[in-house]
Amino acid sequence: MVMDIQLASLFTAGALIIIGLYAAIFLDNIVKKVIGLNFIEDGANLFLIALGYKFGGVVPIYLPGMSRSWFYANSAYPLPHALVLTSIVIGASTLAVMLALVMVLYKKYHTLSTKVILGEDHE
Amino acid sequence: MNELIPLMVIVPIICALLLNLLHGKDKISRIIALIVAIVIPIIAIVANTGLHYFGGYTPLAFNGTLLGTLPTALANSNIVFFHPAITYSLVAMKKIFIFVLGIVIFLSLFTYFNKYKKISGPFMFLVFMGTAAVSAMLLTDDIFNMYIFFEIAALTQTGIILASDSEGSTETALKYMILGSIGGPILLLGIGFILGAVGSVNISDIVYAIKTNMVDPYSPVLLIGFAMIFFGWLYSSGLPPFNTIKSLIYSKGTPEASAILTTFSVFTMVALGIAMFRIFGYLSVYKIIIILFALLAMVLGVSMAVVQTDFRKMLGFLAVGELGFIALGFGIGTKISMTAGLFQAFNDIVITSLLFIGFGTIYYLTGTSDTRKLGGLISLNPKVAIMLLFGGFALAGVPPFNGFQSKLMLVQSALNAGYPELAIIVVLVSIVVFMTFVKAFHSIYLKPKPENLKFVHKEIPSLAIFSVAILLIICLIVGIYPRIVTYGFAQYLGGLI
Repeated sequence: MVMDIQLASLFTAGALIIIGLYAAIFLDNIVKKVIGLNFIEDGANLFLIALGYKFGGVVPIYLPGMSRSWFYANSAYPLPHALVLTSIVIGASTLAVMLALVMVLYKKYHTLSTKVILGEDHE
Repeated sequence: MNELIPLMVIVPIICALLLNLLHGKDKISRIIALIVAIVIPIIAIVANTGLHYFGGYTPLAFNGTLLGTLPTALANSNIVFFHPAITYSLVAMKKIFIFVLGIVIFLSLFTYFNKYKKISGPFMFLVFMGTAAVSAMLLTDDIFNMYIFFEIAALTQTGIILASDSEGSTETALKYMILGSIGGPILLLGIGFILGAVGSVNISDIVYAIKTNMVDPYSPVLLIGFAMIFFGWLYSSGLPPFNTIKSLIYSKGTPEASAILTTFSVFTMVALGIAMFRIFGYLSVYKIIIILFALLAMVLGVSMAVVQTDFRKMLGFLAVGELGFIALGFGIGTKISMTAGLFQAFNDIVITSLLFIGFGTIYYLTGTSDTRKLGGLISLNPKVAIMLLFGGFALAGVPPFNGFQSKLMLVQSALNAGYPELAIIVVLVSIVVFMTFVKAFHSIYLKPKPENLKFVHKEIPSLAIFSVAILLIICLIVGIYPRIVTYGFAQYLGGLI
């Protein structure tokens, strides 16, 4: 039996978030932590995309020849997709800044261990 | 002139981009920055209250031509009242907040220019991008748009700490980003849950859908959405468990940067707090949970501040503790308590900016913020010392300053709502704030000057004194005439509650 695509996407989103949280909280390597954090972001984006999915739906662009009632009934919901597009840009910017900070800290400490980099008293 | 509403976001963004390009050309950068910092509060005053529909897309119900072309089932549904595009709203409350934001930015930059011969283009970029982000958060009626600017505000705050270039600022910035990378997506998920339940991200639409029972107000989907948005709010506000990192951030910035950072935090707290109240204010769990976290913030903030020997850290913890008072007003949830919460937010912006800039003069003179190494500074500049003492009084809620009025209002609202125990806690915490401040003031100004105390600079920058004086005058005027601001807050909340 083929699993419903929307349900599968939601499960995948949940899995990504859980894996990401695990990596962000429990892994010591700071690059792995950052990858985990990106997983959380991706999970949230996939969750939003899955919300807008419509089985058998069409792209929400009204074309000549379509009847309005058919279009209203069959087009996918475009709002979540538009939101995700913006969210991806924000996520990429955050990731870039985090990686830049990791690079700076690696040059300073010569290690990627979170315990060493963030565990010391820098206050 | 509703067209002016988006200018409060567009002007600082353009200014930010321009200042980044003009890095190295100090004279022109200073002029542009100060002009824009003055223009922002002027736009806030001049702009008419009302709504601005981006792209001119009003709800279908207001567009007769388009409404007539829709199928009958759709035209007769409640969906025609939904907002198809991003909507900004301007009310008196938002005008007051954006006005004070402009004033704080202006005074902070004024002090920054006076202190440093070379100014940093990226720092100026971050300050104005942050200004645009927090203004947009306050103006927008769209919760996803709020999330976008929430992320931009978080990024600019990280950048400002990095630009401050103090010891350990990179580590603190990374810590803040890691927590933000958990808080941000969780907030986004919460918005996703609401979108799934309601089908819109416009706050007015969500409230309309809940009130007209288009969705079950107690559906698990909405409740999960609330929990996740609440988590994002805790992160952006710096309420527990994020209080330590937030106070650390304040202590890592230069004094002007810290003043700007606290202002940004209060703005994000107010914007998201009001959105949460509008959507979920009907939930009984809403009040309980917010009061709980507000009390935690107050108690943890002052108890951590009282043991600090570094005045920058002490101020950081006190600033976070003060956020608890704002949250308490939101949590009690009555019109007077919400007014008190917003009033406290306004006062918090002015007072903490005053204290950060004022105490910054000591760091500028001596190069240290350790109170054990300081002493006897009152003879150096008694004017600044007295102004700072009054600033501390305003923070602790001593009359006739503004902090007294907002805390009194908060106590009254707690008593009226039947929570006398909360009123007692507010008074007790204020006493501890007073004690903490007086202890620090004594260590810095009144105790004998240590023999090995060295001075990095000979004189306090004159514009820092000017900025502190202006902020103190605002504290005093608002303390004597609180209705200048509370009237606008109460008017706005009267429409909500």
